Amino acid sequence: MIRLRQYLRSGSPISPGVVVIAGLMLASAAWVAVRPVAQRDGLSFWVFARTHYQMYVPVADRWREAGGHRLDVALLSADALPRRLIASMHAGTHMADLVEIERSMASQVFSGPIDGIGLIDLTDRLHAEGLYDRFNEPSFAPWTVSGRVFGLPHDVHPVLLCYRADLVEEAGIDITSLTTWASFKEAMRAMVVDLDGDGRPDRYPLSLSETHLDQIEALLLQAGGGLFDIDGVPTLASDVNAATLAEITTWLTGPGRIAGDAPEFSASGNRLRLEGYVVCSLMSDWLTSVWESDLPQLEGKLRLMPLPAWEPGGRRTSVWGGTMIGIPKTTPDPEQAWAVAKELYLSEPLARELYERAGIISPVRALWDRGWYAAPRAYFGGQRTGRLYLEQAPDVPRRVSSPFDTIAKAGLQDVVIQLKRHAEETGVYDAAALQPVAKQLLEAAEARVRWHMNRNVFVRERSP
Amino acid sequence: MNHHAAQSRAAYLFLTPFLALFVVFLIYPLVQSLWLAFQQTHGPSITRYVGLDNFKSIAVDRLFWKAFWNTAVFALASVCIQLPIALGLAMLLNRPDVRGRAFFRLIFFSPALVGLVFVAVLFGLIFEKRTGLLNVTLHAVAGFDPEFPWLQQYVMPALIIAALWLYAGFNMVFFLAALQNVSRDLLEAATVDGAGPLRRFLHVTLPAIRPVGSFLVLLSLIGSFQLFELPYILLGGGGPDNQGLTVVMYLYQAGFDAGDLGYASAIGWTIAILLGGFAVAQRYVSALDER
Amino acid sequence: MTPTLSITPRRTLAKLSAACLTYAMLAASAAIVLTPFAYLLASSLKTGEDFFGSLFLPAGEGVFGVAWGRITSANYTRLISEFDFTNNIVNSVFLASTTSILATLGAAMGGYALAMIRFPGRRFVTNLVLFALIIPAALMLAPSYQLLYFLGLLDTYTGLILPAAAPAFGVFLFRQAFLSSLPPQLLEAGRIDGCGELRLFVSIGLPLVRPMIGAFVLITYLGTWNNFIWPQIVLQSPEKLPLSVAIAQLRGVYSQDYGLLMAGTVISIAPVLVLFLLLQREFIAGLTAGAVKG
Repeated sequence: MIRLRQYLRSGSPISPGVVVIAGLMLASAAWVAVRPVAQRDGLSFWVFARTHYQMYVPVADRWREAGGHRLDVALLSADALPRRLIASMHAGTHMADLVEIERSMASQVFSGPIDGIGLIDLTDRLHAEGLYDRFNEPSFAPWTVSGRVFGLPHDVHPVLLCYRADLVEEAGIDITSLTTWASFKEAMRAMVVDLDGDGRPDRYPLSLSETHLDQIEALLLQAGGGLFDIDGVPTLASDVNAATLAEITTWLTGPGRIAGDAPEFSASGNRLRLEGYVVCSLMSDWLTSVWESDLPQLEGKLRLMPLPAWEPGGRRTSVWGGTMIGIPKTTPDPEQAWAVAKELYLSEPLARELYERAGIISPVRALWDRGWYAAPRAYFGGQRTGRLYLEQAPDVPRRVSSPFDTIAKAGLQDVVIQLKRHAEETGVYDAAALQPVAKQLLEAAEARVRWHMNRNVFVRERSP
Repeated sequence: MNHHAAQSRAAYLFLTPFLALFVVFLIYPLVQSLWLAFQQTHGPSITRYVGLDNFKSIAVDRLFWKAFWNTAVFALASVCIQLPIALGLAMLLNRPDVRGRAFFRLIFFSPALVGLVFVAVLFGLIFEKRTGLLNVTLHAVAGFDPEFPWLQQYVMPALIIAALWLYAGFNMVFFLAALQNVSRDLLEAATVDGAGPLRRFLHVTLPAIRPVGSFLVLLSLIGSFQLFELPYILLGGGGPDNQGLTVVMYLYQAGFDAGDLGYASAIGWTIAILLGGFAVAQRYVSALDER
Repeated sequence: MTPTLSITPRRTLAKLSAACLTYAMLAASAAIVLTPFAYLLASSLKTGEDFFGSLFLPAGEGVFGVAWGRITSANYTRLISEFDFTNNIVNSVFLASTTSILATLGAAMGGYALAMIRFPGRRFVTNLVLFALIIPAALMLAPSYQLLYFLGLLDTYTGLILPAAAPAFGVFLFRQAFLSSLPPQLLEAGRIDGCGELRLFVSIGLPLVRPMIGAFVLITYLGTWNNFIWPQIVLQSPEKLPLSVAIAQLRGVYSQDYGLLMAGTVISIAPVLVLFLLLQREFIAGLTAGAVKG
């Protein structure tokens, strides 16, 4: 019994640390309870890009003051937005009245039978109001399923070639005359140089690597290939993909190598760009502003030009990225949401702000002749970059948003790596000789995509 | 008899807060996910019963087994690399002549305070070619290839290194506390008997810390099979050649990238069943062992 | 016959060099562990331009070859002024402290019942808890969201706290802790003395697992503090977001503002570091108590 009493006396089970946490709990609870809660009303609008958020909030405020639309803009991270969309659509809950969707999230939203898509079909409205023709037509492609359009396009995102004018001039190359990739490769080979004499080149004409899948996909699209056709049928194993990948492989490795690995959005890539490790990069309009803020040291040294084409007279651009605005079916007020979507996406001041802040050109064709698109941009040595992008806008390739995009991309990644390895192991660096190998690898990858698609009873039923 | 009834009543009362929340917030969604596992969903809102089709597909799904293999490799590395290193650190710290034990312990433990997102962002920078902290340091110290492609070709070693930084100190704290309970008398007796350091370790220390060790093995295995955020943010997905694809990431991709919540649920249940089977088998074997 | 008593010069030398080796290895390991932190801190003090140009601090003409003049606290001031971080920190403190205290209470009670009381269904509940340990959290994402919607708990703290207040892992840990540190005879003695079951739990059970209480509070606090996937989905109002979500929000789709992100990370570590210093002793004692009978 003495032992028991000892234990009873041994005191409180609560240590000082726990007391502190309990104190924190009470204090923070009090703060949370008494702090004023922002009153939210009006249409809820989810966006994932900070720039867009910063642009829309003042607009929403102005509308509110003027007694117009009541819009409540919420910024979600690019991870959170699709998670919440999927979870809401699964649960059938009301989510937002308007939502901006990036291409990398779109596949999830657009999967399933047409009437199962959680967004309002805008096709009839677009045609009835004559809006369809006011937009750049290819920009609708990622938001279209079986001919039905589910979103207004936010952008065009053409791809141009960005080059270091200072380095090219130093090498005495007239780069703008290189209108095909073949001539680009031939002329620019001269720029592969070993500057410090350690036996390793310190400069490559092109920024590309087997892991830069976005750029490789853009190159495939430019060539007329891609992962899926416009109906969502996998086309990974097409001849044009095989030929293009075989050629790209010769850029990445072997005696004809012209590509160096300087990844975008990374510290190492940016350091290499400053050092002049790569001369040219594929550049979408949105990327210009990213460079301008991350690499101010390059001001004045860069120029833009259309991409070299895959064949003489061929397409001089591609596409990279993309965003839309859509209206979830669960909204109680689709008419007002539609009105807001149109005002935001057709607005001239917003289009101008978008261009001036982010370098992004609008898909609304009526705005293309505006003078502010022609303003010279010091970062690109005074080039009128808006105009340069606009010239290529009608030519951007079409691509769809397939739910099997992740799997197809992984398959493409597989092929690129294996093809490069094959070339290095066999010592075959000739595009024509690599093409059958590429085709074989692509067929295996496509078969895997098809396996996943056939597993899906709904896809099976749609395409017997 | 009455006595027992009172105790049972008390037990149920004690369990009520936990069980009530557990049933509502875990069991109910779990049952829901079991139902989903037998559905084909296409687009999040449309489902159809497909029987065992999802499970049959998983059995032959190359990507699933690749993910499973990756996860198993990671788990194995956690157990065979991370835990021995943690134990080694703990034994260093446990030497009687070491001062500043609490200070070192704090340093080694501190990575566990950093959230996984930030660890992933941080290591994304550290593993970069040419400018990444790791390659720069290794190059300066050992003439290592500054272009070594961690996140392009050596994804799994990179993940294991990041996890080592993150968790080794956490595990070390367990080992250290266990080591401090190893009887000094026993160790000294062994020394007197002429046992060398290795034999002392094998015959005195190891048996004494075995419970903690097996607990940590269990924890590492469970943790490894939940691995998701770290590679997902570090690689932006499965990484090149899906070398960093883990089972939970594959589950996530199936559900939230491809919009097939049914398949995702079936993957989740397959993992749970495989792990559960493993745990039961291990219990059975160790029960045999003790007999 | 204690060999340690025979101190010869050679022995001291051997001892000394062993100690040196130990310290050298410890210091090297500590340096490896700390370097990423140094990198983190240095990165948070750089401008975007310097971030890509230098490894640690920007190189220049100052002391140690560092351009001290280019060091900036702009990232921190931006976080506070532009991003409402004070509010986020309070939210995180609230969520983490409430969750950890409720979860510890529920887990201690549940673990006690499973460990110390014989009752019908005990085996079943124990197995259920063990099974819950291996469920991948991502499996529950969509069904749980639906459930919170049905319960009207979306965008509420209740919807975050209640599910987390029933931690299977905690029940498991406390069960182990009670099994290893509370002799059943003690409870029997208490019962004979006429103590009620609740009194036994509070007066005998809890004090004995005091270290485990500290440990589990800390683990849960840390876990809640850094958790972001689930809060990101459940909470919708920006003023309710915890710090982890707010910082994760700083990551862009394509480009990142690394300086800002790094500063946010530093801010997120500081409060839990203080907490760890406070609870360190209990934490360590508690962790092993739970593991002893693993």
